[in-house]
Amino acid sequence: MALSFYPGCSLEGMANDYARSITAVFEDLGIDLVEIDDWSCCGSTAAHSLDETMSVALPARNLAAAGEMGLDIVSPCAMCFNRLRYAQLMLKRRSFDIPWQVDTDFAVHDMTRFLAAPDMLAQIRKRVVRPLANLKTVCYYGCQMVRPPSITGYTDFENPQTLDAIMDAVGAQVKDWSYKSTCCGASIGIGRREIRDTLTNRILDKAAHTGAEAIVVSCPLCQANLDTVPRRPGAGRLPVFYFTELMRLAFRPAAEAGWFRAHLTNPLPLLNTKGLVAA
Amino acid sequence: MADTQPSGPNPAVADQFAGRRLIERGHSRFLEHTQNATGIDIGACYQCERCTNACPVARYMDIKPHQVIRYTQLGWREALMHSTTIWVCLSCEMCTTYCPNAVDVAGLINHLRNTAARLPIRPAEKELAQFHQIFLEELRRFGRVNELWLMATFNRRPAILKKKLKDGSLKEDLSLGFNLWRRGRLKLLPHRSRGIGEIRKLYRHRRGESD
Amino acid sequence: MKNTAHPHISGKALVVGGGIGGIQCALDLADTGFYVYLLEKSASVGGTMARLDKTFPTNDCSTCMISPKLVQVARHRNIEILTLSRLAALSGKPGNFRAQIEKQPRYVDHEKCIACGACAQKCPQKVPDPFNGGLSMRKAAYLTFPQAVPLKYAIDAQNCLYLTRGKCGLCRKICPTRAIAYDQQPETLELTVGAVVLCTGFELALTRQNGEYGYDRYRNVVSSLQYERMLSATGPYGGHVRRPSDGRTPRRVAWIQCVLSRDPSRNRPFCSAVCCMHAAKQAVLTRQHDPDSQATIYFMDVRAHGKGFDDYIERARAHYGVHYKRSMISQVYLEPDSEDLIIETFDHHLNRKVEETYDLVVLSSGFKPSEAFGDLAKRLEIDTNPYGFALTDFQHPVHTSRPGVFVCGATETPKDIPETVIQAGAAAAEAAALVHPARHRDVTSETTPPERALDAEPRIGVFVCHCGSNIAGVVDIEKTVAYAKTLPHVAYADHFLFSCSNDTLQKMEALIRDKRLNRIVVAACSPRTHEPLFQSVLQKAGVNPYLFELASIRDQCSWVHSDDPAKATAKSMDLIRASTARAARLEALSDHTYSVTKTGLVIGAGIAGMTAALALADQGFAVHLVEKEGSLGGFANNLTGTLEGNSPAALVHALAERIKTHRNVYLHLGSQLVAHRGHMGAFEGAIRTTSGEEAIQYGAVVVATGGSAYTPTEYLYGRDERVVTQVELSRRLQTDPGWARGLRQVVMIQCVGSRNEAFPFCSRVCCSAAVKNALLLKELDPGINLVVLYRDVRTFAFKELYYLKARRRGVLFFRYIPQAPPEVHRENGTLVVDFTDRSSHQDFGIQPDLLVLSAGIRPNAGTAQIADLLKLPTTEEGFFLEAHVKLRPVEMATAGIFIAGLAHSPRFIEETLTMARAPPSRPPRSCAAGR
Repeated sequence: MALSFYPGCSLEGMANDYARSITAVFEDLGIDLVEIDDWSCCGSTAAHSLDETMSVALPARNLAAAGEMGLDIVSPCAMCFNRLRYAQLMLKRRSFDIPWQVDTDFAVHDMTRFLAAPDMLAQIRKRVVRPLANLKTVCYYGCQMVRPPSITGYTDFENPQTLDAIMDAVGAQVKDWSYKSTCCGASIGIGRREIRDTLTNRILDKAAHTGAEAIVVSCPLCQANLDTVPRRPGAGRLPVFYFTELMRLAFRPAAEAGWFRAHLTNPLPLLNTKGLVAA
Repeated sequence: MADTQPSGPNPAVADQFAGRRLIERGHSRFLEHTQNATGIDIGACYQCERCTNACPVARYMDIKPHQVIRYTQLGWREALMHSTTIWVCLSCEMCTTYCPNAVDVAGLINHLRNTAARLPIRPAEKELAQFHQIFLEELRRFGRVNELWLMATFNRRPAILKKKLKDGSLKEDLSLGFNLWRRGRLKLLPHRSRGIGEIRKLYRHRRGESD
Repeated sequence: MKNTAHPHISGKALVVGGGIGGIQCALDLADTGFYVYLLEKSASVGGTMARLDKTFPTNDCSTCMISPKLVQVARHRNIEILTLSRLAALSGKPGNFRAQIEKQPRYVDHEKCIACGACAQKCPQKVPDPFNGGLSMRKAAYLTFPQAVPLKYAIDAQNCLYLTRGKCGLCRKICPTRAIAYDQQPETLELTVGAVVLCTGFELALTRQNGEYGYDRYRNVVSSLQYERMLSATGPYGGHVRRPSDGRTPRRVAWIQCVLSRDPSRNRPFCSAVCCMHAAKQAVLTRQHDPDSQATIYFMDVRAHGKGFDDYIERARAHYGVHYKRSMISQVYLEPDSEDLIIETFDHHLNRKVEETYDLVVLSSGFKPSEAFGDLAKRLEIDTNPYGFALTDFQHPVHTSRPGVFVCGATETPKDIPETVIQAGAAAAEAAALVHPARHRDVTSETTPPERALDAEPRIGVFVCHCGSNIAGVVDIEKTVAYAKTLPHVAYADHFLFSCSNDTLQKMEALIRDKRLNRIVVAACSPRTHEPLFQSVLQKAGVNPYLFELASIRDQCSWVHSDDPAKATAKSMDLIRASTARAARLEALSDHTYSVTKTGLVIGAGIAGMTAALALADQGFAVHLVEKEGSLGGFANNLTGTLEGNSPAALVHALAERIKTHRNVYLHLGSQLVAHRGHMGAFEGAIRTTSGEEAIQYGAVVVATGGSAYTPTEYLYGRDERVVTQVELSRRLQTDPGWARGLRQVVMIQCVGSRNEAFPFCSRVCCSAAVKNALLLKELDPGINLVVLYRDVRTFAFKELYYLKARRRGVLFFRYIPQAPPEVHRENGTLVVDFTDRSSHQDFGIQPDLLVLSAGIRPNAGTAQIADLLKLPTTEEGFFLEAHVKLRPVEMATAGIFIAGLAHSPRFIEETLTMARAPPSRPPRSCAAGR
């Protein structure tokens, strides 16, 4: 099986740990991720904020390239996924004055939804060598992957299940909580940091209050926010994992997983207590 | 056409009405224009406030989401263009998702933000507007966006630098940057896309410049 | 007297659905000479009403209201209840249909089961009880609820271990009457019926799948029907409200309104019409159950458009301290430790989000037609609207698109109990009109056993009723029973959960025989509603029905002294003592029969009066129709079109043509009823006409004196020609569209002369009138500037679609509060309306070309004279007061006198049409028998 892969800018920088774990996990699953040749930025929040047309045109270049490959796209980043989907939908709806010929006749998946399909979950379960038993997690989806449902296809936008199902498949304890898709404020984190801090801290508080020992995410911006936000004095931090990092840990307990070192909130003590990594 | 339209209360008339605002015939032109441009059925709103109750940043907005609808219905374009709302909005789509009347509130706010960005007015949230501009500029330069370069360009803006020096947040930025670098999370050199030519052409096209 | 005319018409009818609508319809038809099959898909009749705790606006106990009806249906010799059945196919013609019925096995022999409950006790298989919304468990062998009719157990084939796996068989072993019949097979019945009435009711649109507000995700989020069960004495928690998660008494309860109602984004754009009221009721009951509790209702418009409803809301707020918050909720969050629920709203005063924590959240879910109706409508080829409700015609509001098939209740639109009962009566009358040539052909008449010889000494039986928790919640029942046993002549005393339920009545009958009781005292609710029921038990047991006394310990003790249980108990004991003393001295009386006048009198020849007169006349009765004006049509003559685009004028014309030519109708125009005496079946009166007085005789009266428009004194009305009423605007729009096209700016003000101190009623129709006129104006000139100033927009049920349409057309709706109503004045000859917009917090001034006032409805001027003459009670506002707001909405307390149309309360034309057809199914009960 092969998919065209749109990593997005974050996976080259801040989320390179995510990128490495994705490569490893897909190798384990025997699925080819074929990176879209010379992909460019989706435009993120900035493009649609300032120029709606650009927010269709910029992803269109990547959609056009993917179309030539004849494969469905999988995107690990919530924002990229949202923008690609949006552009694809808009291009189906009406014509835009853009220089690329786009064949929109292929699926744009977010990576979690792709992996949470029943047959993929069965594959995942088969590859688990050491279940992540006793690891109490909450899954955090953020906004862009699930909303608006008319774009993302998440009809269960308030209580999405994809990450929950994957974490369950690798044997982790998954706690239900109400803040799965409450916004962390990343999109204005640079310009109005105090707003971002308020929103992100609240999510960390709620996660801790739910009894989680770690947060599992799929969005690079969410991860960066939750992992790096300044905390109030006295308020603790929780390790924030990309779901693929934990999948790989369950698949190959002994393999070197250098990406944990990239976290600001060091997850190794927790994993160590749980007997998931050697001291 | 919308750009030249009078909107909001005419001060002279407002005075005559001793502080009361006047609803005049023609107030709906801005509404119609906006509805046509966006395809959003703004009139359907019944002011239930689900959008504002759902919004995570309503407190930072001078015009709350449900009021944005009302203002649009009343043709108060000026007020919307100068609002903090259009910049503070996170595009988290809570309002749109929960609107019972299927009013795409986030889409409307985004449209207003687009409109404001094209106008020669000072945005009520200057840094937020600048960040978006810088992001798009980085994209234009390389085809992809490098986080380190994006932050560096943003922080180099004199006004921002001055502010960040003053409130100490530059120090925080640098310390965070160092930590991230130590952990291998910063890519030092931007990647330049091979297709940068066609991306820049797209930009010129959108800005109405010749090729 | 066998009716042999018209042999091709069947004297039988099929009623599909055993809820309150179906029950009422079946009773109306069976009481007037038709044999009725009452079809029910579940194991027992009662429908949603049987699951309710209490009902608005009187807080009457729902079980106590429906139980007598269930008993009547169960005991009626001309009603055959077919449970676990569905209508599979219908062929033939109106008057002579062949209905194919599929009946699922009960696995319990109906004849043998004595409802001892041994099967359920021994059954090892527990399943969530659907009757209690899954909040408690029942067994696979079960009785739907303790007062179920028929009172027969059933086995749930999906969960029975024997039927699914061939194991167990415990119930067969234990059953003392060998009633368990695992080998029962589905049956198909072929019935011949003349008419079919569909009363399949509704269910909640909220389903476990859509996860709305954490429903089925968080344990303490429940649906409105689940909460009803939680309040009920027969519910999962025995009448103590508890949280599903931990059994604690919830102290902070929130209601979220309009869940899956008024929600175009989910393709549910209509309003479910009753949720505002049932939420208010539930909130009041919650406060009554626990005075320390807090009740908060999140809503957008309070839709209290029924008779006395606004008054109820006001009491809920002011007297019971229910909090109303006009703010709609998006999401409910869970507090993980306590399983409390968090509701986030934006507080405009604090300018920040506030988190409010609740112990329990109740979702007021919208309605949808019952699941089975969709397929039934397809099989029967009946037209439905896009939301699955049966379509009816404006002029014939209970006719489906298929002739001979009628509809009532929530199958047609979401509606409350009284409107359902009214519609049931109308459906029965329409069915009867179709098959009336076959009246009495297929029925047998009741015979009562002869009265047995009684001991000379009084032997009194005392039956004390818990009335669920209505009485038992306050009065010490055990103590009163013990006391009753000490009273002279008392031979027997005991207590019962619901003495009006079928099982208790059967027990009572047996006890009267076995204990040789010859005087009966029931200490219960009220003789008004229940005396005839208990009297019939005496008759069946061979005791003269007048040897009966009812001690009203609910109305006079537990209700009025609910705050002082000791005194309520003492008073109950006093009342029981007095009743037994009286009972000891009672003497047997015998009824005498008299011949009745098979003629009706209808007062008022508006739409209601004409419709009522025709409905009677069509069933073969003579009718005097008395109208004080010189023409027909009444108030409807002022009306141009309805919101839905129908023509009142065409309706009036059609009715008037039939009235003038119907051979059974005696029309008296320019006339007035001036004398009235006698009793049901034999009234005598006099009409004063232009040519003098005429004496008339009649067996029943329908009062249809109508209503009129309020003449505003507010907002410069009558002092400025630019200020008009909605009715005046409608007329002008019709006669002078050119004038209307010239209007540039129009303001409408709602609730003028309604919902204020002088006249607390909501006039029900004005919001729709404003929407209608606004749409007409927008059609004439899409650019017109239209502003509607309202308090609550009350476009209930499918009228909500027009409110949506008006908004989409650009009509601006601004809410005002009664403390700060709009101000209207003239500035240099210019009309100015000042108001405050509560959304943008701005004061506005607007200079309309036209100001339209939505003036309310008043009872007609002649109402007081008729009330006086017929000795009928009225409300403070002057509308006639019916016998019982829930179950007898078209009857007055005086037997033989009925009410229809605006004389009862403000209502829409289609509602009036329905209501005016309802009494004709009831007067014939007395008239039809001929004695």
